[in-house]
Amino acid sequence: MVTVSEGIVDRFSLNLTFVLFLSVVVVTLFMALLTAPQRDEISEFYLGNRTMSPLRNGLAMCGDYVSAATLLGSTGLVALTGYDGLLYLGGTVVAWMMVLLLVAEPLRRAGKYTLGDTLALRLTRLQRPARLALAVCTLAITTLYLVAQLVGSMALLTQFTGEPSAATRTLCVIVIGTIVIVYAAIGGAPGATVIQIIKAVMLIAGVTVTAVMVLHHYDWNPGALLSAAADHSGTGTQFLEPGLRYGVSTTSKLDFFSLELAIVLGLAALPHVLMRLLAPRKVDVLRSSLVWAVGLVGLVCLAAGILGLGATAVVGRETIAQTDHKGDSAVLLLANALGGGILTALLSCLAFVTLLAVAAGLTLAAASSLAHDLYGEVIRKGRASETEELMVARLSAAVIGVLAMMLALISWGANTATLAFLAFAIAASAILPTIVYTLFWRRFTGEGALLSLWGGLVCSVLLVLFSPVVSSTPGSFYPDADFAWFPLQNPGIVSIPAGFLLGWLGTVLSERQGAKGDAAYAEFEVRMLVGAKE
Amino acid sequence: MPDFSPWHDNSLTYSPPNSEPAPSRRISEDPEFHSLRRAQRRFGVRATLLSVGGFLLYALLSHSFPDLMNQRLAGNLTLGLALGLGQFVVMGVTAWCYVRYMRTRVDPLARGLASRLEQHEANSLRAAAPNGEAGQTFRPGSSRGFRTW
Repeated sequence: MVTVSEGIVDRFSLNLTFVLFLSVVVVTLFMALLTAPQRDEISEFYLGNRTMSPLRNGLAMCGDYVSAATLLGSTGLVALTGYDGLLYLGGTVVAWMMVLLLVAEPLRRAGKYTLGDTLALRLTRLQRPARLALAVCTLAITTLYLVAQLVGSMALLTQFTGEPSAATRTLCVIVIGTIVIVYAAIGGAPGATVIQIIKAVMLIAGVTVTAVMVLHHYDWNPGALLSAAADHSGTGTQFLEPGLRYGVSTTSKLDFFSLELAIVLGLAALPHVLMRLLAPRKVDVLRSSLVWAVGLVGLVCLAAGILGLGATAVVGRETIAQTDHKGDSAVLLLANALGGGILTALLSCLAFVTLLAVAAGLTLAAASSLAHDLYGEVIRKGRASETEELMVARLSAAVIGVLAMMLALISWGANTATLAFLAFAIAASAILPTIVYTLFWRRFTGEGALLSLWGGLVCSVLLVLFSPVVSSTPGSFYPDADFAWFPLQNPGIVSIPAGFLLGWLGTVLSERQGAKGDAAYAEFEVRMLVGAKE
Repeated sequence: MPDFSPWHDNSLTYSPPNSEPAPSRRISEDPEFHSLRRAQRRFGVRATLLSVGGFLLYALLSHSFPDLMNQRLAGNLTLGLALGLGQFVVMGVTAWCYVRYMRTRVDPLARGLASRLEQHEANSLRAAAPNGEAGQTFRPGSSRGFRTW
């Protein structure tokens, strides 16, 4: 653990990264300001340019979807745990299939700006409480994920300067947070889309080129890469077999399955990803965009797998684990070994831009949920003017950004993966049941929606609170206390069925909606399958 | 209430608009609408079960039957790793099938119903108008009128 305090990157790379990052930020800020909504129209602020081509939409979706956690964390996991890490990457790709096959098109046809609009179309009663619950869930998910991104930015800085001082950390978070707020509050969806597309192009190019370099290093022979990875892993062929990380006991196997469940079902229900689905005006454009995104996400994940294996093969597992026990530095170490300072600087810049873009998308999703659902519909009961709502949206983007900055500074040292996994679990157990029931169940009522949203949220948060994440193990927030009666780190395996069950229970126990509810669903269904006139 | 007919758009001129149920209500009782719903839902559920369920099963198998998954196929390539790569293939094929299925089976139905819905709305707006005018509201959906980039 000594090497942590030195940083793995030399002075030259640090300066180059700084210059590259600054130029990307300046260019994207400039473009975001140019494309920012000129008129006070909420549709433009929430959804951006609605006539973009499928490739650009697909790039933006890929940009929203692949976070820095995937780029650094997952590759690190592959480098450290081999097979188990590859399974984790697979889950990331499979989750996108959920979006394509079940959710995207019905949601686009029946949706307007936020998920709350879709829910309100469908429910005859309790629309406002349901919007409130949805806004709270969205806020919880986005804040957790946003804090994870900001803490990740500080952790990334550690790779360069060594353990940063409190002042450096504060500066880093404030700079990143402020840029994010500018993108989201001033640029709105058009601004966030610009950085999303630029980031996606950089990400795809960066990981593909590095993966090609790894394969070239092993003469385009995947078998040689696998055996080199196994040789340098310190565990032999066990590296290429399941169980290195999660195979210790039945509990850890269950834990892993719980995590896979939360990833596969939760990534598909993240608010900023769902919001991106509403942007294309035509449904066939949306479909082509989704297929582009399937291909691009698949490519990035495949390349990330090669990078992870390559990091172990070239650098060695020992060195990676010594530099950072979570493995986040694997990609940068690999880049340093393969391409020297320049490639390291390029990939670090890429990681920072990825952080920035995902954080901007999250802030925008949270701000639109706050302004549209909470302020527009719950507080002002639908009487707010567009200008007023837009003002609130910009303000809430700033407020959420500042809140996330403060939380990130407090939770320095927290495991970013844990925060992200909790966000996935909440999305999968609160938002996904509501979406699925809303779209596909005729009888679904407001009570069901309330119960599944609040129940899923509370269930996942409580289970994590009483899990080894918070207490009883050396790695938890309160290592000295012990109130961890729930053995798993990931609540998904319990909380996701609980969310679905509660939604069903609430619907069955509430009184039947009768003819009015049937008529509302009939109209909703026609809209969902045939589409409505714009 | 007039008797149900799948071709109401041809026989709409006789009834005043106010005694009619909402157009979307009538569309939702249409047999074509039912087949649209069935077609879309059946494929969506099956494909999701295949790709997502298949992946979860693969994850579960990896940890429950490690011996099976650790069988060597060639060199260091085990059955588990090969299946993992196979997931990517399954996903690509599923996405391709989805697009093809939607384009050939679902889109024509949806387009037909959408134009009928539009006609209903136009007709109920000007119920007194002569029948011939309803034809003007029909717009064939231009399915691929966008640039790829």
